[in-house]
Amino acid sequence: MEIYQVVLISLFVYLGSIGSIVGNTIGWYTLGRPLVASFVVGVILGDVPTALLVGIPLQIMYMGNVTPGGAVAWDLSYATYIGVAGAIVFGQGMEAAQIIGLAVVFAGIGGLVGQVMWNISYALNLPLNRLAHKYADAGEVNKMYIPNMVLGQLIGFACRFIPAVIVLTTMTTASQQTDFATLIPGWVTTLLGLFGGMMAALGMGIILSFLLKKRYHWAIFLIGFTLVTYFQLDIMAVAVVAILAAILYYTVLSNLPAKEGAEHGKEN
Amino acid sequence: MEKKISEKTLRKSFRHWFFWHGCSQQAESMLGLAFGQSMAPVVDELYDTKEEKAAGLKRHITLFNTEPQVGSISNGVICGLEEANANGTGTPELISSTKVALIGPTSAIGDSLWVATFIPILLTICLSIAQTSTELAWLGPVLYMLIYPAGTALLSWKLFRLGYRSGIDGMHGFMVTGQLDKLTSSMTVLGLLVVGALTASFVDVSIPFQIVRDVFDPAAGELLENQVIFNADDMLNSVFPGILSLGLTIGVYYLYSLKKWSPLKLMGLILLIAGALTALGYLTGVFA
Repeated sequence: MEIYQVVLISLFVYLGSIGSIVGNTIGWYTLGRPLVASFVVGVILGDVPTALLVGIPLQIMYMGNVTPGGAVAWDLSYATYIGVAGAIVFGQGMEAAQIIGLAVVFAGIGGLVGQVMWNISYALNLPLNRLAHKYADAGEVNKMYIPNMVLGQLIGFACRFIPAVIVLTTMTTASQQTDFATLIPGWVTTLLGLFGGMMAALGMGIILSFLLKKRYHWAIFLIGFTLVTYFQLDIMAVAVVAILAAILYYTVLSNLPAKEGAEHGKEN
Repeated sequence: MEKKISEKTLRKSFRHWFFWHGCSQQAESMLGLAFGQSMAPVVDELYDTKEEKAAGLKRHITLFNTEPQVGSISNGVICGLEEANANGTGTPELISSTKVALIGPTSAIGDSLWVATFIPILLTICLSIAQTSTELAWLGPVLYMLIYPAGTALLSWKLFRLGYRSGIDGMHGFMVTGQLDKLTSSMTVLGLLVVGALTASFVDVSIPFQIVRDVFDPAAGELLENQVIFNADDMLNSVFPGILSLGLTIGVYYLYSLKKWSPLKLMGLILLIAGALTALGYLTGVFA
């Protein structure tokens, strides 16, 4: 990676994290999603196909990472930007399954660093309360943005951008030392391939826990599953079927009370 | 003269919230400081004396938390209440207690409807587009980058306006009409179908176990060397295709949802299983 690429990726690590200058809608929930993050890294490093090759499995694996209730289970922004960059830098000459496995491992490392940084920024933000109270006591309406937007922002930037630069620079230096594809023993790449394939179950299992609310929902899930295994439909085809099914379901639901009313009317 | 928050100030208040609600999140007041920043222009416009402004600011930097995108409805409601207070028809106590009362329901709806249902579904649809062909793969992320922020900004602004215009009653109406429930359950159907398909396509588990023997073929009358006479995956998949992927996914669901395992612990478990399978594969000669 060139220096400008390291700086750009680190900048996006910050933009895609919670509480960046662009807001969580554009930041954490858009730039921080692995699908988007991998694409951005691909554009910066000039290798969109490889980036999306690993980005799609990472997105599936982290699909369940949605921070309900504000508890950050895993720093997604760190995990994916570092994971995808690591896979592209170190995965030269490897097979698809192994590159994905590599991305999963680097994403794990990135996620851990991000988690530590999040906890640090969370603690560093505490004194901002004192400043906010000081301004509020004085009725300084025009200074209320300072503790939140200016200082909160600076702390967030320092906690994301600087460690990301360090991690990415270390990775670049390490990748220049040796050719990793030949250095890593065969069983490790085999393990990485298996691990990468199985990790998708993590995202799917967690997302199921949000979606499954009634017992018959299992049947709907299994219909989606068997459409692929028995009928060999691709995801896009299932998505189209699913949208149509949802429209029908909504229509049926909306007509239910009206129908009861009509029958009631007939009886009278 | 009756006081009214100008359109310009409302927009400013919303903008502050939409972009900077997460900047100074911490354990003491959660999103409180961001809420204070978003209310500052409103307080400035509604109150004249320094003391009133100080009192107004102080009630808005206390603890506040919500799912901020859908939760913008609370900001709208509070703007309405501040306006009433400035006109003498409300009390500061009412504002503070309403603010606290809004935390629960707005977080719950925001997290369950928007964050845990809408985002994954939009992501899976964009994923399927990215998955369709290598040439058009970029379209998936680009579509998500356009649709999600634009749609959310619009929704967030509409909810903010709704909260301001119709207050707590309007919010109640929005939440209990049942329209929201129908929409959520329909989206759930969509989500479940796609998640099922994703599970089948992307979760990849195999048991690298096979038995290889030299087999005598009576028809040809010769000895065939190194024939696979038993392959665990082929056997299992002929019973139910993808049974291992399904089993692993349901296992993760069970451990996460019912046994409350953390994602990190689950990751460790998956790594252990992958290690065991790798060892098995080398022992039985599937991997060389």
